Amino acid sequence: MSGLATGSIYALMALSLVIIYNATRTLNFAQGEMLMISTFVGWTALQLLRAPLLVALLVAVVAAALLAWVLERTIIRHAISATHFDVLIITLGLSLMLRSAAGLLWTHDEFPFPSFFGSRPLGVGAVRVAPASLGIIGASLALMLALGALFRWTRLGRAMRAVAQNQRAARLMGISVEQVYSASWILAAAVGAVAGVLIAPVVFLSSQMGLVAINGFTAAVLGGFGSMPGAVVGGMVLGVLENLAPLYLPASIKHSVPFLVMITILIVRPGGLFGRVAPRKV
Amino acid sequence: MRAAALGSGAVVVLGWPWAAPRYFVFLASLIAINAIVAIGLNLLTGYTNQLSFGHAGFLAIGAYAAALLTIQAPLVPLPATLLAAGLVTAAMGLALGVPCLRLEGLYLAMATLAFGFVVVEAILNLDWLTRGNDGLRVPAARIGPWALTTDTSRYYVVVTVAALLILAARNITRTRTGRALLAVRESEIAAQASGVHLAAYKTLAFVVSAFYTGVAGGLFALVVGFLSPDSFDVFLSVDFVAMIIVGGLGSILGSVMGAAVITTLNDSLAGFQSYRPLVFGAILIVSMLFMPGGIASALQKIQPRQGDRA
Repeated sequence: MSGLATGSIYALMALSLVIIYNATRTLNFAQGEMLMISTFVGWTALQLLRAPLLVALLVAVVAAALLAWVLERTIIRHAISATHFDVLIITLGLSLMLRSAAGLLWTHDEFPFPSFFGSRPLGVGAVRVAPASLGIIGASLALMLALGALFRWTRLGRAMRAVAQNQRAARLMGISVEQVYSASWILAAAVGAVAGVLIAPVVFLSSQMGLVAINGFTAAVLGGFGSMPGAVVGGMVLGVLENLAPLYLPASIKHSVPFLVMITILIVRPGGLFGRVAPRKV
Repeated sequence: MRAAALGSGAVVVLGWPWAAPRYFVFLASLIAINAIVAIGLNLLTGYTNQLSFGHAGFLAIGAYAAALLTIQAPLVPLPATLLAAGLVTAAMGLALGVPCLRLEGLYLAMATLAFGFVVVEAILNLDWLTRGNDGLRVPAARIGPWALTTDTSRYYVVVTVAALLILAARNITRTRTGRALLAVRESEIAAQASGVHLAAYKTLAFVVSAFYTGVAGGLFALVVGFLSPDSFDVFLSVDFVAMIIVGGLGSILGSVMGAAVITTLNDSLAGFQSYRPLVFGAILIVSMLFMPGGIASALQKIQPRQGDRA
């Protein structure tokens, strides 16, 4: 069960990576750092204003959206027609800068973060479950459904899918590619901020928190990059595997699990559990 | 003009230990080692468009291979040790490169990133061999009767090897093989249609790149004299990527210049650890946005104007 809770964290992270990927076909290396910064902003609101946790969550989401908008407008927008390789390097640079900036602002220490959920385990039949696990699982499922609906049924969602499929054709259909880019960055950052506030009580708040993005990526790859249900299932599977592996293998293997899983899945089934490998067009 | 530039360059490189303080001789050795890695990485990334975030892992394998060989068999001459380090790493490159043929773009980047992490974890866990976190002290290497105990002697070894590898890389890139690699970068499908064996050349790039990095690892063990897993973390891989981005993708000279810039910068920012990533991130973004071809192509743009004047 705690594996599933960890898994939900990875799933949320994977979701925010997939949002940007689905609209822009690029990977945002700075996703984890954006999550970390927005959680820090929420935490600052908690400390300075003695605000309730719900307000802190809102502050974090707004801060994330703002940060994403600024970054997109000032940096990513200039590389809108650049290759994925270039954007990858740019977001890598962003992640370095954001982590370093957070360290300067809030130091590199770890801080405790209050949780929405009590710490007393609930009894479900014979199984005892931590409320935090249930909360994280529930919240990520709800977010996933909401995002799925957005992509499927709204105008914005359709525009995002169109831009992902063919930027030029989408532009000819009157879709503003720039706006779609902004929207997907903001949306992804907001999801990331929710994830950050949910997981900060579990992993502690620190400038290194963004590294969870790597596991999020593994989860997304495991489920088939670009597929939202895949991202959630991939996250869950990864979380459970990570918790079970030390039982059967040397205990020190736990930290390598995401990487071993990633290499294995990429070699055996690059399309992931749910994805298909898109045929290449000339 | 060209010969004069080469000649004066050679004089500076050879005379460096006699003009510069001891620490700067060590720093110059590091630059040469990083230049070898950058060339290796550029052959892979700049020439076949396969991005790798795992070269710190290859460097670690080469370094530990050379160190363990020096400890177990002190009589093996240094060139053989370096060759062995390169070959062991090249074998790892083959083992990683073949399955990675199926991947491209960010998938390959993430797979190699994962490889880098796994190598560090492996070094930590194989502590009976690598002494894990305690680190491994490397005894002074010997060439025949001479033990390489001074920074100057090690510097000359490193510079010689680097010069050989730079020459080799220039020759690779100018031949049929180099053109095939460039064709792969421009368009895999077009290259294949023109009769370039895609899998063979992409694997070749991986193996050669790993070989270069492995030899550099051997030199790293020689120059630094002490190995521990935390000197091969993922940020080192990022540094290598930064070197070829700043220097210029697909350029040998650019790799060397990028290595010089990043290594010097790394060293001068040593006192400001918390600002280092900030500066590096900014450099990556700025060079990607405003100088996509790196220093090498910026120089090329300036050169014709000089020619006009002359």
